[in-house]
Amino acid sequence: MGKISLTIDGRRVEVDEGRTVLEAATEAGITIPTICDHKDLSPFGACRMCIVEIDGVRGFPTSCTTPAAPGMVVRTQSEELRTLRNRTLELMLSGHPNGCLVCVHREACEKYRPRPTKAGRTTRCGFCSNRDECNIRTLAFAAKPQELAIPTLYSSYNLERGDPFMDRDYNLCILCGRCWRICEKIHGVPAISIINRGKWARIGTAFDKSHVESGCTFCGACIDICPTGTLADRYARWYGRPTAETPSTCTLCPEGCSVLALTEGQKLIANRMIAFSSQTSLCALGRFAYPQVVNAPERLTRPLAREGGELIPVDWESALHAAAEGLQGSAGSVAVVASESTTREDRHLYAKLAGALGARLGTVPSVSGPEALEPEELKADLHSGKIEAVIVNGDLLDESTLGQLKYIVAIDCLPSNVSEAAQVVLPAAVLSESQGTYRNAAGEVKPVAAVSASPGEARTEWRIVRDLAQAMGLSGFEYAAASEITPEITSDAAPGRLSANPRFSVNNLPGRFRGHYLADTVRSLEAFELPASPHKLLEQAAADGFALLEKREVVPNMHLLKIKAPQVAPYAKPGQFVILMAKETSERAPFTLVDWDAEQGSITVIIEEVGRSSRELVSLRPGARIAHVSGPLGVPFPIEKKGTVVLGGGCYGIGAIYPIARALKEAGNEVICAIEACGDYLLYMESEMRSVCDDLLVATKDGSRGVHGGVQEIFKGLVEAGRRVDFFVAIGCTFMMRMASEATQPFGIPTYVALNPIMVDGTGMCGACRVSVDGKTKFACADGPIFDGHSVDWDELFFRRSAYAREEIEALPQMAEITASGWQQAESRGSDGCSLRQE
Amino acid sequence: MGEQPVEKGSAPAAVQPKPRKARVPRQPMPERDPRRRRTNFEEVPKGYSEETAIVEASRCIKCKKPFCILGCPVNIDIPKFVDLIAQGQFMEAFLKLKEQNSLPAVCGRVCPQETQCEAQCVMGKKYEPVAIGRLERFAADYAQVHGGVPDPERAPSTGKRVAVIGAGPAGITVAGDLAQWGHEVVIFEALHLPGGVLMYGIPQFRLPKEIVQYEINNLRKLGVRIITDHVIGKTETVDQLLKEGFDAVFIGTGAGLPMFLGIPGENAIGVYSANEFLTRVNLMRAYDFPRYATAPIRPRHAITVGGGNVAMDSARTALRLGAQSTIVYRRSRVEMPARAEEVHHGEEEGVVFHLLTNPTRILSDATNRVTGMECLKMELGEPDASGRRRPVPIKGSEFVIPADTVIVSIGNMPNPLVPQTSPDLGITRHGTIVANPETMATSKPGVFAGGDIVSGAATVISAMGQAKIAARSIHKFMMDGAEPPGQPPTLPQTPAR
Repeated sequence: MGKISLTIDGRRVEVDEGRTVLEAATEAGITIPTICDHKDLSPFGACRMCIVEIDGVRGFPTSCTTPAAPGMVVRTQSEELRTLRNRTLELMLSGHPNGCLVCVHREACEKYRPRPTKAGRTTRCGFCSNRDECNIRTLAFAAKPQELAIPTLYSSYNLERGDPFMDRDYNLCILCGRCWRICEKIHGVPAISIINRGKWARIGTAFDKSHVESGCTFCGACIDICPTGTLADRYARWYGRPTAETPSTCTLCPEGCSVLALTEGQKLIANRMIAFSSQTSLCALGRFAYPQVVNAPERLTRPLAREGGELIPVDWESALHAAAEGLQGSAGSVAVVASESTTREDRHLYAKLAGALGARLGTVPSVSGPEALEPEELKADLHSGKIEAVIVNGDLLDESTLGQLKYIVAIDCLPSNVSEAAQVVLPAAVLSESQGTYRNAAGEVKPVAAVSASPGEARTEWRIVRDLAQAMGLSGFEYAAASEITPEITSDAAPGRLSANPRFSVNNLPGRFRGHYLADTVRSLEAFELPASPHKLLEQAAADGFALLEKREVVPNMHLLKIKAPQVAPYAKPGQFVILMAKETSERAPFTLVDWDAEQGSITVIIEEVGRSSRELVSLRPGARIAHVSGPLGVPFPIEKKGTVVLGGGCYGIGAIYPIARALKEAGNEVICAIEACGDYLLYMESEMRSVCDDLLVATKDGSRGVHGGVQEIFKGLVEAGRRVDFFVAIGCTFMMRMASEATQPFGIPTYVALNPIMVDGTGMCGACRVSVDGKTKFACADGPIFDGHSVDWDELFFRRSAYAREEIEALPQMAEITASGWQQAESRGSDGCSLRQE
Repeated sequence: MGEQPVEKGSAPAAVQPKPRKARVPRQPMPERDPRRRRTNFEEVPKGYSEETAIVEASRCIKCKKPFCILGCPVNIDIPKFVDLIAQGQFMEAFLKLKEQNSLPAVCGRVCPQETQCEAQCVMGKKYEPVAIGRLERFAADYAQVHGGVPDPERAPSTGKRVAVIGAGPAGITVAGDLAQWGHEVVIFEALHLPGGVLMYGIPQFRLPKEIVQYEINNLRKLGVRIITDHVIGKTETVDQLLKEGFDAVFIGTGAGLPMFLGIPGENAIGVYSANEFLTRVNLMRAYDFPRYATAPIRPRHAITVGGGNVAMDSARTALRLGAQSTIVYRRSRVEMPARAEEVHHGEEEGVVFHLLTNPTRILSDATNRVTGMECLKMELGEPDASGRRRPVPIKGSEFVIPADTVIVSIGNMPNPLVPQTSPDLGITRHGTIVANPETMATSKPGVFAGGDIVSGAATVISAMGQAKIAARSIHKFMMDGAEPPGQPPTLPQTPAR
């Protein structure tokens, strides 16, 4: 292939014939902004960010679709191009929540909250799991975001959380088409495509089927190539940007696919395909289930030895010693039964141990259980009791065999009938915790990297076998690392192929790993009808409890719940809160009372979906029951006539200031309500607010309505206008309350805030909610929640609120579920299958 | 280890003709291996077998003047129930217990018998006292396992209504007695599950929650209405309850206000009150995460400050969550208020004790998470008001114990919610409610109180004892002075420590 030469931005550039202008520029180190282009995709020309000027060519061609030609003169930067690109970007952003990009407080806010807040619906960068890797954000910052002035037109599509492993929020989609194009490239026939037209065009499956039924193989490529937060890996999304990406091999099945292991610190959060091609794609197990197996809470973590009928946790030395002694007691009738799902090094040592002991060696394919044990004679001997003792590395012996055996040493990662029956249980580091090599069914030998920390005291299998051999006085097991074993492996057979490759269809997914049912550990796999052990129903709907009278999503991610709570309503006062538990297994979570009706015996709260507790609550449908409602709690807001009062509310705080405004107004104050939101489509309860105040002022972070900024800017405006303010109330996120308090402090205006620390009981019994106010420790539930904003130790509050940040991510449900986000389904989904914008 | 170990030299079970009883030693109760139990929440002692129970019960010499009854805050007829066990009449023994004690399965587990009934046992003067607590537990468990316990008889309705505030040991006891005597009883509980400290405080490995809920169900069978999620003081006040048609009110709201050390760094992440720590684990089941949503606590090294039973519970719970667990107590072993058995269990499981050590400062990192605790060595000085020798700091003896979790277990104050909202209720300067010890009547007519809200933080059984007295006075108050059925309790003569 010949070379051609062209000029880009005044530089002579040489490229291979057939390259596009964009490729030519990129090779020459010249950056042209683009979103829809991707090195693994053919040019598409959807986003139109990569426009350039070419001498002799009319208009502004997209560089990604224009082939480079000899002698071409290309300009990538000009005032006109910049304007055009910015207009394009603006249009793109109008369909993508973007308030944070143009927010005047963004830097302070992101410094204060270095990690995005986990949220059900993403309404801004600060609530987006993809924030740190977002291509639009990068482009917007390069383009000076303040110049982007088109407000968000929120699409109001349903959140799609009903499929296993994937969360989809098409309200963030900019229709770059990367997802369906990569799907087509890898699978030939894409499971997803652009459906509908014009304004309602979006990505979807044929006939809006679930992805499970759409032919999707759950390879995750669409998630990994999506430039926005539209498509997300449910398990990994909130852990943030991976700290390392390491090539490795999946050993869940004999296919032995190459993976890129993504880790955050010492924790594996996902596997990704090493390259976007049909040859390197992954199945749902390798892509999604794998990290959930590795991080399963039920993992075996301590060596156990049976003493007096009970399995007792002991140290490694005692466990190995006990195992060695027990096995020697049955010398001559020992078998080693090993699953093929381990590294070659592990398998080699199992075989070597069997040889040294004169024991029989049985193997089980990595995706099978006891029925597939080979050789057949061994199976018979196990059943007949000819074999007395077994070293086994999985759930690989059936009940009747377990009954026959005198001594079992289980080397495994998960509990099973085998480990329960064993005399010694040795916890094994598996999958991404173990270094070595793997021979796949195709015969290739591939590297397996140890990238994550093993749980508790678990050790790699080769090390366990080595130590066990040494404890039995066997020689020839003196290895210091797995790599010392590798050269000893002279001939190892490739494992048998699966009858059908799981990569091609979810119907081919194997159900077992080392004999364990994968669906027992990764419950989402039940969506694919993989087998599982019978398990107890985990959560029952509350039979009695408190009826949910009304539930709607008033604005995206903000839900109004009206609950029958006759013991609360007659006693509720402004500023108080209730503790809610959606289910018996829920946390006790506090929510400020927004309204109440003593006669009807009902209360109203506004809940923003940010974690498991709020998710459980907002997922309930009207008519359902909330397991527990406790309240009213906290000290009511002091209602006195003070003069002119400004009440600032943001997010859930808009609802929270409503009853205080009402009471202060009734007490004869001049009440000014200042409400803020990221964009005007996130403002709610305005007419209700107007009815309880003299003046309603609005601020938006994206400037789409009212003051550009937050309540502190409204306050400054009032002061500058010479308005007298006697006291100020701010309720919203910690950052907002802090900013508002800092704004009023120089003017010496008394400022009340409603603090929101982590609580447990809410009645003053535990002190989880302690805050420092004026140097003294107070309980927010019993002494508050309302305090003097100028005396609060905000840094301490911020830290204490983040005490369980990591656990809160772990707590998010991983099960596929029917999303019950009310408004999208019942109210605003029109007959054309599209949602309508909320008024 | 077998299920029913019998101490060496002891007679094997009841087949033996009555030997010289004193020769039979006190029967040990089989316990789970400390190495196993420190990794999970299974109950530690496994209870007596029928055979062992008979052997142990046969050790009772049936004194003419049974001092043990005087040692019992609820005056159980101990010799009688023990004798019934000795005769193999287990269900009868249980019914005997039930006459005076509404929660035998609970008390058999958590009562400090060594300072109450067993401290009075004549056998204990020369040998070891009869294991009354273990026998109580045995009889209660036997009845629960074998079922067939007849539902307690209820007297015909009196038409009187009683409100009980708090579903803890005191509230449950009052409610049980009053319901049995024909009154309509409504219990108001602030938390989402009834049981009070039995649910949120005492850990699963010491008192399985299933036992508490079994007792609560029995209460419901008696017709007692238990309304959870109802915070009296924030909803109705005591005055409103009386106005709403309750003839009497019993306040059993307990001591639920945690005390902190008041040292620098106490608001760092990883510092818990024992109440919070235990509530998260026991009531909210943080150990069953992610099935239960409560964020798990994953301590690597936990320090518990304090020397009481709650401190032992906290330290042993921390151990079960995977921590290296240390107790820091400013006095010496002798002054420790915890039961000897609890301290012993903690030691067996591997809790490390730093005695005569006082925390001075909690250290934390840049993100405000605990990294350690600075302590000062102490020595014992002159006795203080409590009669215990006062710990005096040794100058310059500061040292740091590395830790990521600190559990402050230095006691609880009475819960102020109800007293705050009942202005005419007599309150002591400690925040407890003033009640006549003979009637448990407060300064407010028709209002009675008992348990920790009156006595300050004490034991389950002392709360129950007070509740028994209160129940009788409430009955008399409502029924124009008529005595309720059954024996009036004598005031317990709990010996001083």
